[in-house]
Amino acid sequence: MNWKIFLITVTAIIIITVALFAGPRLINPFVMNDTEKEILLSIRLPRVIVSILMGAALGASGAVLQGILRNPLADPYILGISSGASLTAAMGIISGITLFGIVTIPVFAFAGALCTGVFVGAMGWKRGGFWPDRLLLAGVGLGFLFSSILMLIMSISSTEGLRRAMLWIFGDLSLADWSVIPYGSLFIAAGLSISMLRAKSLNALILGDELSHSLGFSPRKERFILFLCVSLMTAASVSLGGMIGFIGLLIPHMARFVTGSDNRILIPVSAIGGGAILCIADLIGKSVLSPTELPAGIITAIIGAPYFLYLLRRKDVLSN
Amino acid sequence: MSSATENTILEFRDVCFSYDNSRVLIDQINLSVSNGEFIGLLGANGSGKSTILKLASGILKQARGIIYLWGKPVHSYRNRDRAKLLSYLPQVLDISIPFTVREVVSMGLYPYDIMPPLSTDEALEMVGLSVKADSVITNLSGGERRRVYIAMTLLQGAGLVLLDEPLANLDIRYQMELLRLLKELRAKRGITTIMALHDINIALQFDRLMVIKEGKIIGTGTSDEIVQQDLLKKAFDIDIEIKREETGGVYIKY
Repeated sequence: MNWKIFLITVTAIIIITVALFAGPRLINPFVMNDTEKEILLSIRLPRVIVSILMGAALGASGAVLQGILRNPLADPYILGISSGASLTAAMGIISGITLFGIVTIPVFAFAGALCTGVFVGAMGWKRGGFWPDRLLLAGVGLGFLFSSILMLIMSISSTEGLRRAMLWIFGDLSLADWSVIPYGSLFIAAGLSISMLRAKSLNALILGDELSHSLGFSPRKERFILFLCVSLMTAASVSLGGMIGFIGLLIPHMARFVTGSDNRILIPVSAIGGGAILCIADLIGKSVLSPTELPAGIITAIIGAPYFLYLLRRKDVLSN
Repeated sequence: MSSATENTILEFRDVCFSYDNSRVLIDQINLSVSNGEFIGLLGANGSGKSTILKLASGILKQARGIIYLWGKPVHSYRNRDRAKLLSYLPQVLDISIPFTVREVVSMGLYPYDIMPPLSTDEALEMVGLSVKADSVITNLSGGERRRVYIAMTLLQGAGLVLLDEPLANLDIRYQMELLRLLKELRAKRGITTIMALHDINIALQFDRLMVIKEGKIIGTGTSDEIVQQDLLKKAFDIDIEIKREETGGVYIKY
């Protein structure tokens, strides 16, 4: 097992290094002029860090969410958090408000995501605890509502911000800069470390609340804490660079094939894998039609959708 | 503190339970279980057997009365401390995340910081699943999956094991093997078992039976005292004929 984790980590480091130096303009790390140094430090490095943070948050959130909802098809966006974030971010972009300077849109998105998380949590709460099915249905219902309002706003809007809002919704990393990294790291690191510390209780939750109780955990408390972690990580991720589809669904399943389903290994491996895959997706997005950039979210969806269909064909993954 | 004897490990005193003040599911139950007993809870579907086990394990909280576990109210234990004393295997076991058999069984070690008396391999051996240790649980049959959870419950190493219809989905061989295993664990480690069941033939294997109907205990005693025509007619609402042969065999006709 250890050599598999080592191999995954080394592969991720190689991918991240390639993403840093490759792209529309290839940079030789051993011979760099001032312009290339500037590109590397001001554009590429923050963009790669944001990709790692977002991918790690989504990969780990997917693994945790599939566990607390006991549903292998759950992904962080199923809770409607991303739709809430997209709605508030798009409203901010289209209205042109710059209340918090350069971080206005991330702040709007984070606020929208958190409010949605709280609302979904309240809807999923019954008899002193979260009910997985209620959480899931509340998230799906609210997601549809927010998406519809977003479509409505975008269809009646004719401002310049419309294209930017569209790009942001599809996961655009081109606006990544150092300013958003500190707070993004804080929330994602907090959510990730708490999730990893509670990986045993997540394993037990997957067996059902009664067995989890028998094994010495409080399923209601554990589900609540893990839901908070997922909400924080997803909110931070969406606010950093918009919606990146399929990483939350795809990566935990890929990780399970390699390392098994034990969340003590699955959560960190999903985080590493998520970060690396998003770096590749962003590299592809900015390279294939250069100088035009494709949002990374579109690339992950193009890779993720066929995999999703493949999963549907695998009975042992999706059903009993 | 409970006033029961030193040997009493579980005691229900005037316990009542209902969900959201609706229909009363458990109605003023009193029972006491001594260390090393092998007890069967017999009753029809919906009689309250599972609810009694869930109350005993602390999953449900009684509306009235008190439940003592080793002399202390069951809800006064820290979750992890309780898990070292009592393990509970529910009736419905579903899983959709592809854990391996070994991963599930080894979760029985979660309440411990130190190694308990049994290893994962020994627990797998006990239920005859050593060869499937690395198989994915979602690919196993219903009976095999149940044996995986039984191995996990045994690995937990608690002194009191509560099993809710664990024989469902098991073929006759594994039904008999599980009963033999539980009796062996009692003999070797003094483990107490309380099992919900509705098969009268299986009930004959227990030291003591409690018959439950509509949330009340309507009979308690040895299998000879309990497996009686009138009592079982009342418990299951069916015509039943019981004949005891001189050789000790019991003939049951539904």
